[in-house]
Amino acid sequence: MTIAKPSEILIDKTTNLLHNGMNARAFGDFDIPEALGDARWTDELILSTWYMAETGKVPEKLNFKTGNSDGGFDLLRFQFLDESGWVEHSENISTKLDLNRRGDEKNKISIDIPWYGGGMSYGSVSVNVMMSRARNARRWNSFISTGEGGYPAELREVEENVITQVATGYFGVEEDTIQAAPIVEFKYAQGAKPGLGGHLLAAKAGEEVAKLRGSVPFVSLFSPFPFHSTYSVEDHSKHLDWIETVNPKALLSVKVSTPHDVDMVAVGSFYAGAHIIHLDGGYGGTGAAPEIAKKNIAMPIELAIPKVHKFLVAEGVRDRVTLIASGGIRTADDMAKAIALGADGCVLGTSDLIGLGCTRCSNCEGGPSGRGCPWGLTTTDIELQEWVPQDWAVQRLDNLYSAMQWRMRDILRKLGLDDVNQLRGRTDLLQYIPKEASE
Amino acid sequence: MLTSEKASSSVISEGRLSMESFETESARRGRQLADLYHRYHIDTEEVDDVQSLPIRFLVEIGKVGLAKYIFKEIIHYKGNAEVILSRPCTYGVFSGPVGGFSPRPHLCVGCLRCTIQHPEFVKVLPNPERLSLGDSYTTHGHIAAIDEEAKKGMVPVRGQGYRGRFGGPGFDGMLTDMSEIVRPSRDGIHGRELIGTSVDIGSKPMHLCFDEKGEIIGNTPKMFNIQVPFIFDIPPGDLGTEKLIRVIDSTSKEIDSLACVTSSDVERMAIDSANIIPVLSIDEAEKSSNFPNARLIQLDGWDSSAVDTARSVSDAMIGVRIKFEEGWQPKLDSAVNHGVEVIHLLADLHGRGEDGQFVTELFKEAHLRLIEQGRRDLVTLIGAGGIIGADHVPKSIISGLDAVALDLPVLFALQGRSAGSLVNRAGVIGNLPKKMDEGWAKQRLTNLCGSWRDQLLEILGAMGIREVRRLRGEFGRSMIVEHLEDEAFEGIAGYVGGGN
Repeated sequence: MTIAKPSEILIDKTTNLLHNGMNARAFGDFDIPEALGDARWTDELILSTWYMAETGKVPEKLNFKTGNSDGGFDLLRFQFLDESGWVEHSENISTKLDLNRRGDEKNKISIDIPWYGGGMSYGSVSVNVMMSRARNARRWNSFISTGEGGYPAELREVEENVITQVATGYFGVEEDTIQAAPIVEFKYAQGAKPGLGGHLLAAKAGEEVAKLRGSVPFVSLFSPFPFHSTYSVEDHSKHLDWIETVNPKALLSVKVSTPHDVDMVAVGSFYAGAHIIHLDGGYGGTGAAPEIAKKNIAMPIELAIPKVHKFLVAEGVRDRVTLIASGGIRTADDMAKAIALGADGCVLGTSDLIGLGCTRCSNCEGGPSGRGCPWGLTTTDIELQEWVPQDWAVQRLDNLYSAMQWRMRDILRKLGLDDVNQLRGRTDLLQYIPKEASE
Repeated sequence: MLTSEKASSSVISEGRLSMESFETESARRGRQLADLYHRYHIDTEEVDDVQSLPIRFLVEIGKVGLAKYIFKEIIHYKGNAEVILSRPCTYGVFSGPVGGFSPRPHLCVGCLRCTIQHPEFVKVLPNPERLSLGDSYTTHGHIAAIDEEAKKGMVPVRGQGYRGRFGGPGFDGMLTDMSEIVRPSRDGIHGRELIGTSVDIGSKPMHLCFDEKGEIIGNTPKMFNIQVPFIFDIPPGDLGTEKLIRVIDSTSKEIDSLACVTSSDVERMAIDSANIIPVLSIDEAEKSSNFPNARLIQLDGWDSSAVDTARSVSDAMIGVRIKFEEGWQPKLDSAVNHGVEVIHLLADLHGRGEDGQFVTELFKEAHLRLIEQGRRDLVTLIGAGGIIGADHVPKSIISGLDAVALDLPVLFALQGRSAGSLVNRAGVIGNLPKKMDEGWAKQRLTNLCGSWRDQLLEILGAMGIREVRRLRGEFGRSMIVEHLEDEAFEGIAGYVGGGN
């Protein structure tokens, strides 16, 4: 079968059908598909994300707050004040987050919402998806990370909102892309496959992807584990020094997984010079990972955040570093809970894709068709990627973020807070719902 | 790792080294040994299904709705074939000769694009027949994973993140650790290419004694090794057909592992060999002499006189199978006291002992008991019961085992079906495919072992551990979700701990 770029009329037909279909499901015009959803992303959570991405508002009839995983965020609730203690819902409730807390001479960066977009490499997703996320990040004065797949030329247009990721395969890492970045992110490990490196299957390593990664088309690409140049915290420090030499103004972010000693890792990274410690929990997303790794290796983010937060507090350095959490964070409620557990902010990945139509079918890596995502998200297939028009996708993400910010403010005001930074580490505002009570 | 025992022993048996020739002679022998080295590898090869699992999804099409839709499109797009013939499925569900009028649901992967795009006349439903496979412990998810592993021999890889519950009971409540910067070796892409998965079966003395001439006196190590930390257990329930026994026998030889087979089957089928562990009841211990090729014989229960009898008639190591029933601890102590080299611990097929404890706790108790007695290396601990996923192997070893024994996975790797209880070994009713070719079955089991070994390598690689023997009892390389929750949520209103 020859796959060619579809005609405009076919793009128009398909995208209309898809978009109308998503809306019909999200607005309740048809029953919830029985095969939709899983314990972490329930059917209602997926449909509510579609609803928010279409309308910019939280739904009234769908659970947009929690999944059904019987643990972690799904068993945590907020202890809201009586209505008399609520703050008025308004734009005066601050959701801004400072990313440089070291007080050094590097970039002073503040984002308007306490989250930014996680790394998804070109190759694992299309340029359309990358650009949509980046353009949306610009609207929100926030960021996305390149992931480890290079820096498509289109991204130059929004480089102020793009974090350049340096990962173990160094794919696409070049001097100019480091110099262009306000923040450079070292990815030591990924929550969905901690300790295992990365693998882009041959089918997805097409000509453009290979060009950006400096490789041969349609040959599998491995990111090794770990950095072959890092065997100690001193080596890690040299890594950060290297970036500082190339781009003296860039903030340094260190993305790590969640092993039992994640607290020590975080402190080590702080002393090595990191501005941002980015923890990626075990239930995080991926374009491809061994099933055994997703479920079993390293700990869920809910359990890692307080561990690291408390340790940084005990070390007396908590206010000099930004702690960012990712890996299994789905909703505004999850983000608020993560912050209450001790994070400063969060990184979203899967939520963005859900907003654009993802149903979590898990065929991102190619699936039986070998072409990647049938929705056109995690693919560089010349036909499929056309199902995600950039302008539509930017607006969907913009709407989703609007709804999320609204909900974040709603949570804050019901706790009597008017700044998201006041929520950090406030576990006293949380309540744990025993498992039997949640059923 | 050396996989040619005869060859290596011939090099070693050339005589003791004298001090004068030590350097040159040891170098020469070392070279000879090195030349015998080849990296252990399991030859996997994708095989066809003979009795496929029920399909994942049912696809229902409203044919009238579809016909109306097509008619409308023909008019609207004025016969534009590219547009009219476009399908919402990239997997071919609607690409048969009559398209959506006769969908092919076996190709459906559940992306749901069709039902989202055409909610008026397409439904995709989970197949209840598939969801009903197995039971509350051995779920359809486990069975599907085993089926895929046995079919392809590869590590299952998928996109998107974890889809299941947070932690959970049994093995799900244990996470394995990883290291941000350590890897097992500097060789290979990830450093896991040279991780060893061989384990010793038998007994190592806690110390060696030498006489004044430097000769070893007293106990010497009595053991052999196998290349993977899993063996095949006696097929549970009614599964132990001659055909299946031949398959696990040949597979155990192929992958250099072991297979437990009842002594009567070994005799009847004349399959006594180094890879077969004949299992005898304690009142037939004297029949141990009937298995001259066995390296290990197991007695089904602990009885000191039976062990003595078996030893008196056989040179094989004698192992004892002990169920996790009331009083298993003193039986374990007595057996180890008596010099039994291998203990095979048995829980039910849901991984529970008689008292309801899960195997991770039971294995740990057995392991720590022997550690406290200073006798752990005198015995090999093998365990069985509830081990139905690749992650259960490292988790059992972390809990204190040297190796695990596989029971139910064999049934599902061979695309068998179960009926009724999957709790008690004796009560298992299984149906293997009627036309099961032995070569096909051997490849399926080999594939399963290859996949599980590769997944073990992933876990070890992430930890930076370079051989599975070092994983035994390494509780520190695991994380218990309950403990982590206590640490994370302590002080939060309503949190009471203990997994609640």
